[in-house]
Amino acid sequence: MASAPLARLAWPRGAEGTHLATHAGHDHARLGHAAMIGAQTPAPGGPHDLDALLYPPKPLPRRAGRVREYTLAAVDRDIEVAQGVTFPAWTYNGSVPGPVIRATEDDLLRVNFTNAGSHPHTIHFHGIHPANMDGVFEVIEPGASFIYEFPARPSGMHLYHCHATPLKKHIAKGLYGAFIIDPPKPRPPAQELVMVLNGYDTDGDGENNLYTVNGLAFYYAKYPIKVRRSRTVRIYLANLTEFDLINSFHLHGDFFRYYPTGTTDSFEYTDTVVLTQGQRGILEIDFSNTGRFMFHAHQSEFTELGWMGFFDVVD
Amino acid sequence: MEGRSVVTDRMGGARWRLTALLPILLLVGAMSLLVAGGTPLLDLVGKRAPQLDEFDIRRVEFRPGELRIRVGNPQHGKLEIGVVTVDDAIVPFRLDGPKAVPRLRSSTIVVPYDWTEGDPLTVGVTSSSGIETTKEIAAAVETPRASARSFLGYAIIGFLVGLVPVAVGLLWLPSLRRTAPGWLAAFMALTAGLLTFLALDALAEALQLQAALPNAVGGVGLVLLGVASSYLALTFLSQRSADRQSGSDQTVLGGLALATLVAVGIGLHNMGEGLAIGSSLALGELSLGTFLIVGFMVHNVTEGLAIAAPMAKGSRVGFGRLSALAAIAGAPAIAGAWIGGFVTSDFLGVLFFSAAAGAALEVVAEVARYLRRSVPKGVGSSYVLGGFLTGIAVMYATGLLVA
Repeated sequence: MASAPLARLAWPRGAEGTHLATHAGHDHARLGHAAMIGAQTPAPGGPHDLDALLYPPKPLPRRAGRVREYTLAAVDRDIEVAQGVTFPAWTYNGSVPGPVIRATEDDLLRVNFTNAGSHPHTIHFHGIHPANMDGVFEVIEPGASFIYEFPARPSGMHLYHCHATPLKKHIAKGLYGAFIIDPPKPRPPAQELVMVLNGYDTDGDGENNLYTVNGLAFYYAKYPIKVRRSRTVRIYLANLTEFDLINSFHLHGDFFRYYPTGTTDSFEYTDTVVLTQGQRGILEIDFSNTGRFMFHAHQSEFTELGWMGFFDVVD
Repeated sequence: MEGRSVVTDRMGGARWRLTALLPILLLVGAMSLLVAGGTPLLDLVGKRAPQLDEFDIRRVEFRPGELRIRVGNPQHGKLEIGVVTVDDAIVPFRLDGPKAVPRLRSSTIVVPYDWTEGDPLTVGVTSSSGIETTKEIAAAVETPRASARSFLGYAIIGFLVGLVPVAVGLLWLPSLRRTAPGWLAAFMALTAGLLTFLALDALAEALQLQAALPNAVGGVGLVLLGVASSYLALTFLSQRSADRQSGSDQTVLGGLALATLVAVGIGLHNMGEGLAIGSSLALGELSLGTFLIVGFMVHNVTEGLAIAAPMAKGSRVGFGRLSALAAIAGAPAIAGAWIGGFVTSDFLGVLFFSAAAGAALEVVAEVARYLRRSVPKGVGSSYVLGGFLTGIAVMYATGLLVA
């Protein structure tokens, strides 16, 4: 008895042994990355929702005795982090990541912190500061306030996050942000952008379901970042992804100068960097071509779970 | 005087009925109270746990360049589809059905996708609250669609694994007729052993399937319901046939009637078997080779013997009757293969398999009753014990062919 032809009777003609099943007349326009550009991208949010997180405050030249003051409040907030999926986040000022804090080296940084959330929180800054400003032992109960005050040092790209326990939970819930300290002599002018890499464990199983830049899955695929070819693009990049050991940044169609932590002038000329949680650096891109260039994690899984976007390079 | 007493009785009857209604009225009252002020009442014992928000991924169909994922909502509140992933990658999709799926309703997610034939694949559906439900597919194969061709294909598969072996097994009838009474008792016991094996097999299958069902529709209760209804239905049928049967013994079935019961029990089992084969084929979990079909045929040929054994004594049975018996026992495999191939429902699977278990058990009881009356030493005879064990052993051994 010839069983193979028999079994094949149950399937449509030609399905076995050929690639008919995978190539028969489907709509290519709706497949692959082409389905993930512009309006049809399944990303939450409106066109300018992330402007405050993407574009940092202007850098200021050094001036002795200046105080840079910020107000941060920890707030519980449900955020639509991927199209149709809401995450019960813990935030600084209502967004994940929190607001960009920027100062020039030796400015006195003053951060007025109020805990309006439902759990005890702190702010732990990376940088050089006194032990009692470290946000580890002074835990701020819900309803309480605290003023963090210290001279901003050293210059570079840094970050801040909550250090209350359970630590993993407080970070995974969204309490972190970028902290830029400008050198006394300002960096050359550029189109400056901030990118904070993160993930969301939406079902609480200790693994991320989504990955994003600046908090919303596929956001920069839906709204590509417009930059000019004639001017350097400077990206302040930090990785705050919980659960996964590393995250990465990869640029298509060009190379960039990568200054690890942004603390020295030495750089690597590359198109891919790898960062563990808390690692950060500064990228400088001089685009050679105009057009649409992808940037994403060079971990394909992260890319396809939301960490992907485009630059629109124009003249 | 007499008339008055009748009236009193009637009134007493009416009062009795009213009294019987009282608990129901009280229950309705209590329920309305709870519904009216329910939430604050329940809050006294703490907050209610949040919903699980897990989907019931019922079926994944593979079409050229496309996946179709049917999801159900097994929980009390509505469940909204948020993100859909295939192999841990978010994919664009459109919906054939509601985005917010109402309780116990379903919706179909259509995903344009370039899948790879023969590879395993995992689909995930994440609710608006972020809970991801996943389903693994062992191997991606194009899902057969209801065409004349696939209809015929499943029919042939059901025909080969169900009808053919049963009919072949029935051909033992003439030889059985010449067998000594002791050996005949052994063959009857073999029938019982074989059916016991089938009952246990079907029960295990039903229990395994129900465990995979969502809590709202699954459960051991569903299996028990299936087992009990088919057992009782067959008891009712056998009672009816016994009543109609002429002869001194009114309560024990024999001959054609018993053979018919055996055929019904086996038919239900073969329906479940056909369903399992059909859905495994459709889901790419089974590669149906020559060996497997041969295995099923050898496994099922003994079922024909089981039907033939009760007819070995008594009047001759015509070819038409024999064909009808073969159809009762074997043809359900065809129907099962169709249902399994085109519908693929674990829920139906549970029902079929538990019904098969109940039917087989009832027939075992029927055969035991027959043996107790017709064999001199009853069920303790060495022929009966040996036959029963052999029946189980044969099913076990031939079952290895399809494991």
